[in-house]
Amino acid sequence: MKPGAAAELRSLAQALVDFGRSKGADEIEVSAGDSTEFTVDVRRGKVENLVEAGSRQAGFRVIVDKKTAYASSSDLSRETLHRLIGRAVERARLATSDDFAGLPPLAGADFGIAGLRLFDPRVPELDPAVKVKLALETERAALADKRITNSHGASFSTHVTTGVLANSNGFLQDYDETFCSLSVSLQAGRTGGVVEDFWFSSGIRFQDLAPAEEVARRAVERTVRQLHPRKIKTQSVPVVFEPLQTSWLMGFLFACVSGVSVYQKTTFLADRLGDLIGSEAVTVVDDGLLPGRPGSRPFDSEGVPCGRTVVVDRGRLRSFLCNVYAGRKLGLPATGNGEGSGVSPNNFFLQPGLKTPDEIIASMDKGLVLIKTIGHGLNPTTGDISRGAFGLWVERGEIAYPVSEVTIAGNLGQVLKDIEVAGNDPETQTPVHGPTVKVREMTVAGT
Amino acid sequence: MTAGLRSARLPFQDRFGLSAGDLRQVLGIALARGGDFADLYLEYRGYSSVHMEEDIIKDTAESVVMGMGIRVIKGDQTGYGFSNDLAFDKLSRAARAASAIALTGGAAKVRAFGKKPVALKLYSNSEPAHAASLSKKIKLVQEAYAAAQKHNPAVVKVAASLQDMVQYVRIVNSEGLSVEDARPLVRLTCLAVAEKNGQRESGYSGGGGRVGLEYFDREYTPRDIGRDAAREAVGLLEAVPAPAGEMPIILSPGHSGVLVHEAVGHLLEADFNRKKTSIFWNKMGRVVASELVTIYDDPTIPFFRGSYAVDDEGVTPRKTCLIRKGVMTGLLQDRLSARLMKKRPTGHGRRQDFTCWPVPRMSTIYIAAGGHDPEEIVRSVKKGFYADRFQGGQVEDSGKFTFSVSSGFLVEGGRLTAPVKQATLIGTNIDVLKRIRMVGSDLTFGLQTGTCSKEGQDVPVSDGCPTIQISRMTVGGSR
Repeated sequence: MKPGAAAELRSLAQALVDFGRSKGADEIEVSAGDSTEFTVDVRRGKVENLVEAGSRQAGFRVIVDKKTAYASSSDLSRETLHRLIGRAVERARLATSDDFAGLPPLAGADFGIAGLRLFDPRVPELDPAVKVKLALETERAALADKRITNSHGASFSTHVTTGVLANSNGFLQDYDETFCSLSVSLQAGRTGGVVEDFWFSSGIRFQDLAPAEEVARRAVERTVRQLHPRKIKTQSVPVVFEPLQTSWLMGFLFACVSGVSVYQKTTFLADRLGDLIGSEAVTVVDDGLLPGRPGSRPFDSEGVPCGRTVVVDRGRLRSFLCNVYAGRKLGLPATGNGEGSGVSPNNFFLQPGLKTPDEIIASMDKGLVLIKTIGHGLNPTTGDISRGAFGLWVERGEIAYPVSEVTIAGNLGQVLKDIEVAGNDPETQTPVHGPTVKVREMTVAGT
Repeated sequence: MTAGLRSARLPFQDRFGLSAGDLRQVLGIALARGGDFADLYLEYRGYSSVHMEEDIIKDTAESVVMGMGIRVIKGDQTGYGFSNDLAFDKLSRAARAASAIALTGGAAKVRAFGKKPVALKLYSNSEPAHAASLSKKIKLVQEAYAAAQKHNPAVVKVAASLQDMVQYVRIVNSEGLSVEDARPLVRLTCLAVAEKNGQRESGYSGGGGRVGLEYFDREYTPRDIGRDAAREAVGLLEAVPAPAGEMPIILSPGHSGVLVHEAVGHLLEADFNRKKTSIFWNKMGRVVASELVTIYDDPTIPFFRGSYAVDDEGVTPRKTCLIRKGVMTGLLQDRLSARLMKKRPTGHGRRQDFTCWPVPRMSTIYIAAGGHDPEEIVRSVKKGFYADRFQGGQVEDSGKFTFSVSSGFLVEGGRLTAPVKQATLIGTNIDVLKRIRMVGSDLTFGLQTGTCSKEGQDVPVSDGCPTIQISRMTVGGSR
């Protein structure tokens, strides 16, 4: 945060709201942001890239006669902003009148922003030399392991942002956020048998980051365990998702419970509200108010206060996540998930269970522990899943050997019903997350 | 009234409000602490979109992206700063941030601007989208929407969008180069959802390129785009789940270019080879594919989405042969990798916008046509999988790659039989390239709607492919 950024952006946003009203907008929403980023990439013991920069941007939504137009700009000259707003009013007139369009009513004034702990004053003050040193140390610690044969490098980055939202219903709020991240990405093995993986530590506060050695150790461990993989025969077996794999499964579930997808009918869950869609082990929550967590925010991009929404309760689909528009269209509440004209997750996660990952693996006669996936292969309209997979083969409750060049396939509807157990090890560094889970059966395609 | 900018005829100097002297001064600040090379990337982009769903023009949008990126190179190190504010003091600050990479050593001189690369003429713009009326754009979107909706009563939802932009760039560097480019880009896309007995499927199509709205009169009409999206969705209602396991694969012409992009293109980007992380790094001049395989990346194909008259480092792009008759012959080079590998840049240094430094990227990658009759290729397979339409893919440096088929067919007794739903195909690139047994004479380019992601940067790309037979590959179906 540059000193005074919030005050400058507040007055800019308020002036633009007033300008929009004077140009004929019935309703207008203005967002303005200031962000500063620092990134250092090191590779093989040397700084490879160093980036330091600040930038600002503004975005608008204009509504005239229940007709909507959007605009945004990184050119913040008054001339450009006024021109864009004037033209947005003109463009809005050419859209179709839509009773569901419009801003939310004014929410209460106290968002408890300080209590969310989204800003660490230490982050903007960090000495660049400290950041460079952390990245170098992380990579050095990883390369010290003789099994590591090459490095994609290590990175440390920080982001400091100030966001302001104002609208013609009288909303005017701002908050500051920080984010820092340390990561390293490695290769092991020789030509023809190269395997690769990465690890990271990230968070709002600098002190939340894991030590360099710990990040390096996890990255090395995750890489070398893939060495000398085998291919396996095509078969249907239990599949254990490691936490980062559960993350993408939850990301896919989010796409399928998005209120926007529901009214567009691009999700297989569109008509299933209130139905049993998963096993007892499946409780999924969206929570924007967890203090100190990267998916938290006091209000969404429309100024709707964030909260806690139980999406799936012990297998039963309880809520869709809606922006104001989708909520009005579906007759459901706006859940504080608005993001532009769509929706985005806050902290969206599968509730952990009680078993350790080792207990879960030990309970399996044979099957696959899914450790990495590549490719797109997720279709919200049907729920179909098909992805390239890397894993560890399990026999009689023990890890036997790594597996690569296979795919996993199934349907999210079936996978949710087949989740037998959720582990006690959620990986909470990313906003969308979950613990280790065991799925009763999926198709693993190999030879 | 829409998306317009200040007049397209306006000189760049006026557009950015900076004189050649200002720019040389910023380069001087960037190199004040040392460095071999510095460049400035000035960008002004106007973007507009129209979106239709639920039978209404739901919204329109317009945006302006303006800013400058400043890069300093010292050996294999890059310093980068950027600013959305083109006031001289802000640019000086960004230049000083970029200069931090070079703490010692001599600095390159900043030469007077004079060098201009050859300007290729690759854009068709007889009806520039940024100057067209909003009502004309709305009409195109409505046509695509209506065509999809009317195609079949099973179609229950449609969404259609038109997006257009014009990107003005000016690139100057410490070696005296100064070049400008004004790049149009248009895309009309349609998504259709069909429903039968409670089962839903979606289909997609789209078109566009470095063109104006005239494209939609001739090349791929909104009506055809809407119809093709609906046709795919309706067709999938009858589709069976994909098979699972290893089997012979036939790639359809056009859409299958995604496979070339993932399996080959990324790992022939010079940075991954210079760093020896790509499986190809020590294979130049060696056999990496069946002798039927010749692969090019060509940024100079007129009107294509992936094309550009100069790259984002001011280099005139060249059609580059990556694999000739199975032998690896080239890499996609940007300035930095070319300099470090002592090669010529090939004009493949691209960036998403002014906040990003350039890295080697593909433009339009394709497998050259071969000698086989496409029908003969289908007849050659007794039992296998025909991959028809694609969603995208991913590769890791070790050569393992996937691509996702959104719809295909079973091949039985040399004929296409049942339509098949989504499946992911996985393989290791060199193994798969060596298993290419037949290459058709029917080179076709894919939809002009693709976007490629690398290191968080998205750029528009195209790809192409004739009908191809691969002796075996793993299909990730569910039965």
